[in-house]
Amino acid sequence: MFETKKYIFAFVITTAIFATAFFASTFFSDKRVENVKSIQDNIAIDILSSETQFDLLKEVPCGNVSDSVLSPELNALGDKLSRTENERGATDEDILYLKKYYSLLEIKDYILSKKLAEKCGPAKKPVFIIYFYSNLGDCADCEKEGFVLTRLKEIYPDLRVYSFDYNLSLTAVDSMKTIYRVKSSLPALVIEDKTYTGFKSVEELEKLLPSTLKVVSSTPIIKKILVPKIIPTKATSTSTTATTTGGSQY
Amino acid sequence: MLDQILQGLMYPFMFLSLYFQVFLLTSFFENKKKMKKEEQNTIINYPTVTVAVPCWNEEGTLAATLDSLLALDYPKDKLKIIVVDNNSKDRTYSIGEIYEYNNPEIVKVYKEIKQGKHHAVNLALEKSTSDFFGCLDADSSVTPQTLKTIISYFENTSKVMAVTPCIHIRDPRTFIQRMQAIEYLMGVFLRKTYGELDAIQVTPGPFSIFRKEVFNQIGEYRKAHNTEDFEITLRMHKAHLKIANSHKALVYTVGPDTPKGFFHQRLRWARGFLENAIDYKELFFKKEYGNFGMFTLPMAFLFVFYGFYASIFSIYVMVSSIVNTIQRWLAVGVHLRMPNFDIFYFNTTVMSFIIMLMLTIFLVVLYIGNTLSDDSQEFYRNFPIFFVVYPLFIPFFFGRAIIDTFFHRKNDWILQDTKEFKQNFEN
Repeated sequence: MFETKKYIFAFVITTAIFATAFFASTFFSDKRVENVKSIQDNIAIDILSSETQFDLLKEVPCGNVSDSVLSPELNALGDKLSRTENERGATDEDILYLKKYYSLLEIKDYILSKKLAEKCGPAKKPVFIIYFYSNLGDCADCEKEGFVLTRLKEIYPDLRVYSFDYNLSLTAVDSMKTIYRVKSSLPALVIEDKTYTGFKSVEELEKLLPSTLKVVSSTPIIKKILVPKIIPTKATSTSTTATTTGGSQY
Repeated sequence: MLDQILQGLMYPFMFLSLYFQVFLLTSFFENKKKMKKEEQNTIINYPTVTVAVPCWNEEGTLAATLDSLLALDYPKDKLKIIVVDNNSKDRTYSIGEIYEYNNPEIVKVYKEIKQGKHHAVNLALEKSTSDFFGCLDADSSVTPQTLKTIISYFENTSKVMAVTPCIHIRDPRTFIQRMQAIEYLMGVFLRKTYGELDAIQVTPGPFSIFRKEVFNQIGEYRKAHNTEDFEITLRMHKAHLKIANSHKALVYTVGPDTPKGFFHQRLRWARGFLENAIDYKELFFKKEYGNFGMFTLPMAFLFVFYGFYASIFSIYVMVSSIVNTIQRWLAVGVHLRMPNFDIFYFNTTVMSFIIMLMLTIFLVVLYIGNTLSDDSQEFYRNFPIFFVVYPLFIPFFFGRAIIDTFFHRKNDWILQDTKEFKQNFEN
């Protein structure tokens, strides 16, 4: 016997389950974005704090300046942002906002590192790679290069990798592209102020990196950081910064 | 982009699948009390029953099948066994003769020259004078209580015209048979729930018992695209004849033991299903055919296509992930990493929630299937095999069946495979 009531009942339950799944998914996705935003805010405070520290320490010897001026959270942030982008899509407005914010934080970190090197000389000179990628499907080797950079970060924890989406509409990123003469040929990597295009393997990149990096990486990186008493800020951190992770482009 | 299109197409199908699961589960629990009551059924008057055993080269299994029938706890003067040898080239007929000689009142052996299982069963039908008629494939066996349990359904419900049993895979050994052992558990649940909804889809070859008048009313078996058991079910629904399921009537059947054998059997079933469903298209979405016409038949038809699509999608996702891993290995070498257990990285998409829920319901269904009959199967060892291997077969037999059906390609080639010809006789 055909009972319409039964069918309606099952339909209502199924619809309720789907609606619950939809709301739960949206809830967790929003929470994820909030989490990324909150990390970025913390990093922004860290950067501001480091800049302030740097200004205050102008008259202080370099030995008193900490090796890591940035929040280590920037590293994890790249992973999380990549994960969120995978779920919500690269065109999602929240994602675009977060990516812009993340790119700015990376540039800030980069400037600060350079300042530190200028003030304190080669001993404090960070080794970094600036990496331009595209995820519009027009860069066949970008994903592979992401894997390579992630692996490189695992081998050399002191290495800083700043990743920028070539297509991100942000003037600061455009300026970086202009400074390093990066054209549309991707992936593009900047090492020691020299720009390279096309896929580079781990071995090829190792040859391009300064030998000092290897020496630093082979020794424990935990170092007591001296912070003048006048600065009420959290002080200890390792020298890792933003990286590419798990094949992601951050 | 391709990902998004494929994912987008999955949602309506997922909704339908979940709806299907919810509908069946609610129907099952709604009828649970009735099922318990059915288990108390008893027989006062034992009717006469004929069991046909169609055979083709069954010298290896026929004796065990006949032994199990002779061991039935049923009055021997009410039981007839008709062995029909369909041009076997081995000792099948002689074995039948030995049993006939030892049990002249019960066993009769005949030869059918016209090739085909339906011809063999029809000969037995013609020779039968009993009130009830059934068939037991020559590779299957029954327990002593099976027939009694089935007949009790007829005794207690006059409207029931056929009763299907609870089928398990006999002694699953190869991984293909272990996979089928789990699949058949799902069948236990489905057949029972469909039975309560008057929507049973197939009266399977192994020991479905009919009132003899069914055949007087709707005619004998037909070739029906090599799936005569499905076709006769469609004919019964068309004639508004009620089919029930007895979840305690145990039957054991041998499943194909190789991937090729399994593929051929499923291709024959899927093709037979599509062809027969098209032949009986007038049953679709007609209220007069109840839940069968409105729900289970259209759903089963749709799920052939959905099963094909969903498994292609799953394989696509799996292959993409493997390709990604290989790309990473090629780029940087093999470096094992600890998985990330940070809650941030948990998959919380709508699809993942629904898939998790559907998987949970599926496990509940298997649990029910495993507890409904009195013989629970080796679940923990067999389930992983089913979970990993079964989806790999689906696109092949569903895909091939869809193509063959719509391009009207002959599928008799399957039966040229001797093993499959035998399977056709057995299932």
